Amino acid sequence: MNRYGGNTSCVQVTFRDGSQLILDAGTGIRALGLELAGAPRVAILLTHLHLDHIQGLMFFHPCFRPECEITIWGPSSPEASLEDRIARYISAPLSPVEVRELPCSVAFNEAPASEWRIGDVTIHAEAVTHRGPTLGYRISDGETTLAYIPDHEPALGASLDELSDEWISGYDLARDVDLLIHDCQYTDAEYPAHVGWGHSALGDSLKFIERVGAKRALLFHHDPLHTDETLDALAAEAAERWRAMGHDPEAIALAREGDEIEVSAPRQGVHAGGQGRSTVGTTAAPQVSTRG
Amino acid sequence: MEGAQRPLELILARNFLTSVTTPAVLVDGEGTLLFYNEAAAALLGRSFEEAGQMRADEWIRAFAPIDDDGAPLELDGIELVEALKTGRPAQTELRIRTASDGYRSIEAAALPIVAGQDKASGAIIMFWTRTDNGKT
Repeated sequence: MNRYGGNTSCVQVTFRDGSQLILDAGTGIRALGLELAGAPRVAILLTHLHLDHIQGLMFFHPCFRPECEITIWGPSSPEASLEDRIARYISAPLSPVEVRELPCSVAFNEAPASEWRIGDVTIHAEAVTHRGPTLGYRISDGETTLAYIPDHEPALGASLDELSDEWISGYDLARDVDLLIHDCQYTDAEYPAHVGWGHSALGDSLKFIERVGAKRALLFHHDPLHTDETLDALAAEAAERWRAMGHDPEAIALAREGDEIEVSAPRQGVHAGGQGRSTVGTTAAPQVSTRG
Repeated sequence: MEGAQRPLELILARNFLTSVTTPAVLVDGEGTLLFYNEAAAALLGRSFEEAGQMRADEWIRAFAPIDDDGAPLELDGIELVEALKTGRPAQTELRIRTASDGYRSIEAAALPIVAGQDKASGAIIMFWTRTDNGKT
């Protein structure tokens, strides 16, 4: 068994009140669906519709439970509705079942330009640099904030060192968050052969994390061709470079399938009562995935 | 959420302009000059870093555009502004004042940037120097 996992992108987030959100529906959502066997409602935020972010839907158990209500949020496109675009995957010849035939009750919502709420949680979506319509999400539970930008190339065509904040893709989403889950698919040496593919090299990921002031970061969306040994080396390099940049190396890690991370906003002034706390399950087997 | 960041389509447009050697300017939906590239800087006579962002009235004052008869052009008189108003491309010829060598005669094309909203969030304006006989 590999140590970083092999499923594609899916993250489970549990909030203070026990409610949950699922970020992306890569193959990691299959095992998660089995854990959600009794859930009456499920909310899924899709960053985009590349296959590695939606291919788990057809294997997601709640989709096949008539009593389950599923709400899927995702990016809009001038070309077709969110439902019609997802239906290209959940339809013949790729699927034996059509979207309209799914036993569950499913609603497709295109993410609005303004913030919206799901229960007590505030969601903000914004377009980010990747191929095709792609969103990043900022999720706030009380004072605790999480940003999820798994597919992102903020340094495309420009050096992050030379850009002011207003010209950095994803800046508003990730600014000062307690946890940032961010693309880091390539080593710096690999990146020149992949410019424009929509993903980040380690150096650009670290610079982005520094620029937005994220308190903690998970490097995500590992290249499927990277072995565990390669990822071990990347993790060690990330920690060393983050230290050299003047930061705590403990605040940077590569996501691993099955990781469970508790996220809390630091106490601010004397207002301890407002402290938020959320749990993020990442990758590997049961809950999440990092590769894709 | 109060944002410090520009819309993605303008970020990508700016990055694109830094990669081309055709003189080009990026404006937002209000006509504010947000950026121009090094090729434009060579033609205008000063770098964007020196000039900085300029509201429409400021760049009108700085570049003092005039038509071929020498008549000053106000913002609404510049056909390129139609790109922002209508979301359609626009093209024009005019003369602008540069910081280095007086007036330059240019031909300019404005491409509106529309991304998911009704009106253009900005425009890319590319321009070319005209020679005396009107050819670029």
